[in-house]
Amino acid sequence: MSGAFTGGRALTLTEKIIARAAGQGGVGPGDEVWARADRVIMNDSSGPRRIAHLVASLGGVHAPERAVIASDHFVPAATSRHAEILRLTRTWAQEQGIAAFHEYEGILHNLVLERWHVQPGMLLVGADSHTVSAGAAAAVAVAVGSTELATVLASGEVWLRVPESIRVDLEGALPPWVDARDVTMRILGDLGTDHALYRAVEYGGGWLDTATMEARLVLANQAIEMGAKNGIVEPAAPLLAALAAAGLASDQAPPRPDPGARYLARHAYDLGRLGPLVAAHPSPDNVYPVEDLRGAPIDMAWIGSCAGGRAADLRAAASVLRGQRARVPLLVTPATRAIYAEAAADGTLAALADAGATVLPPGCGACAGVHAGVQGPGDRVIATATRNFPGRMGSREAEVYLGSPFTVAASAIAGRIADPRAVAAGGQR
Amino acid sequence: MSRVLEGRAFVFGAGVTTDDILPGRYLDRSNDEVGAFAMSGIDPAFAGAVKPGDFVVAGPNFGAGSGRESAPYALLRAGVAAVVAPSFGRLFFRNAINIGLPALIVATATRIAPGHHLAVDLEAREVHDRDDGTRHAIANLTGISRAVLEAGGIVPFTRARLARAGGSV
Repeated sequence: MSGAFTGGRALTLTEKIIARAAGQGGVGPGDEVWARADRVIMNDSSGPRRIAHLVASLGGVHAPERAVIASDHFVPAATSRHAEILRLTRTWAQEQGIAAFHEYEGILHNLVLERWHVQPGMLLVGADSHTVSAGAAAAVAVAVGSTELATVLASGEVWLRVPESIRVDLEGALPPWVDARDVTMRILGDLGTDHALYRAVEYGGGWLDTATMEARLVLANQAIEMGAKNGIVEPAAPLLAALAAAGLASDQAPPRPDPGARYLARHAYDLGRLGPLVAAHPSPDNVYPVEDLRGAPIDMAWIGSCAGGRAADLRAAASVLRGQRARVPLLVTPATRAIYAEAAADGTLAALADAGATVLPPGCGACAGVHAGVQGPGDRVIATATRNFPGRMGSREAEVYLGSPFTVAASAIAGRIADPRAVAAGGQR
Repeated sequence: MSRVLEGRAFVFGAGVTTDDILPGRYLDRSNDEVGAFAMSGIDPAFAGAVKPGDFVVAGPNFGAGSGRESAPYALLRAGVAAVVAPSFGRLFFRNAINIGLPALIVATATRIAPGHHLAVDLEAREVHDRDDGTRHAIANLTGISRAVLEAGGIVPFTRARLARAGGSV
């Protein structure tokens, strides 16, 4: 609960990485430390438009090579005000000599992993709550506000209070038509949106031996919906293989938690028993088996977001939609341009378009409530968005259901909430 | 920061999100423009009713959800002197401290009634309800976060820190 570091203590993965970044042998929960940020990440909403004057007043960017910027909220511009923000962001990135600037490339969080701006063991600080996604690469990724980000850019350092860690072990294999989003919805439904407040969530277990980078991203990403300071996924074979494929294999093994590390709580899940789930309005922890909500009317289906617009999501949706027809508008927003290109090349986009989907430009899209599919009063949408608090995707009087891409696609076909297992079997719509 | 703040309590329930505090449609506004929209997601009358120096008092997990810094800015620009709740969304809490808005962790905050006149003593770490005489302990305001608040926010704090270190920390 409290406690100064007493030496020789076994460390969780988060404690180990913060200790390294702080230049200390070890740290314990509750310790306040100054740590060097290996990467400082921001987007067009949280970044230059809010911090340029602050960074200038603090003497400029300390280490441009550690900064990453993606314009993902306002691309393509829906208003001239958006266009002004995009220009300001682009100009500032150039002026500061920040090479890792992405525009029309997709969502920051997906790009950080896709372009390997993150590596195992790093400390990332970012202005956007879903910064935690980079924990997929066995890094500590912590969100801060724009003002604080300006100070981290100027000084290179961030202060952190070392969080207690919650361990989640995932065992077994996912049944057909069940996705990583169902895993995180199960955890959120059980533990709630404040279970991990101020804490780290550390994922491990045998499922990680086969969980893709995309699945790892979902685990880390959704930790923020539990209130976590960071979500971190233990290194496993798919991460090491992805690093090797990118030419980034290291002689140094990625950090792992120490045996005997202390956790505030431990939770274990047998994924073989998991079925499709839906998080109903008004919170991502309001979770039901899809059977309980089957038949609930919807006006639209949306596939997108950093946690739901991955290539695997598009393929999962296409696998349900092939040869079928969406009865309600189905919007698809690939998370990045590379995902868009991959889905175009392998026939996924064609399958989605044949089923009646409208494919939109890569970016945050409607999930940020800014444009490209935002909801009005009375609208009901099922989406792979990151969260469904009132007003998240537009009007507070809209109802947002969250589901896996399988469930969203099946529901689009049925025109109401549907079980992807039944739709895939050609059964009850 | 002033040691004793005085004002009225505007009371909200549990789980107020940053979408409630500042809806996403205002994301394209600057931090200086958002005061008029404070709490407009759940109480459109708030920004017109709140007076400089008043307090927001709320249930657990105030400021959950999106990390938008414009949410605490909306309260600050609306004149809110401090936010009092049993717990906060982590990012809202950090953002509030960083812009110089005291976010005060008070376990008994839900016992404070709407409209009550409060005296918030940042030195004694106590909220005094002048209308019913109750006193409520403030659990935080220690360590680095206190130093940041006392400096007026993370920017002046960092400026001083950089100056001490000769431009680099």
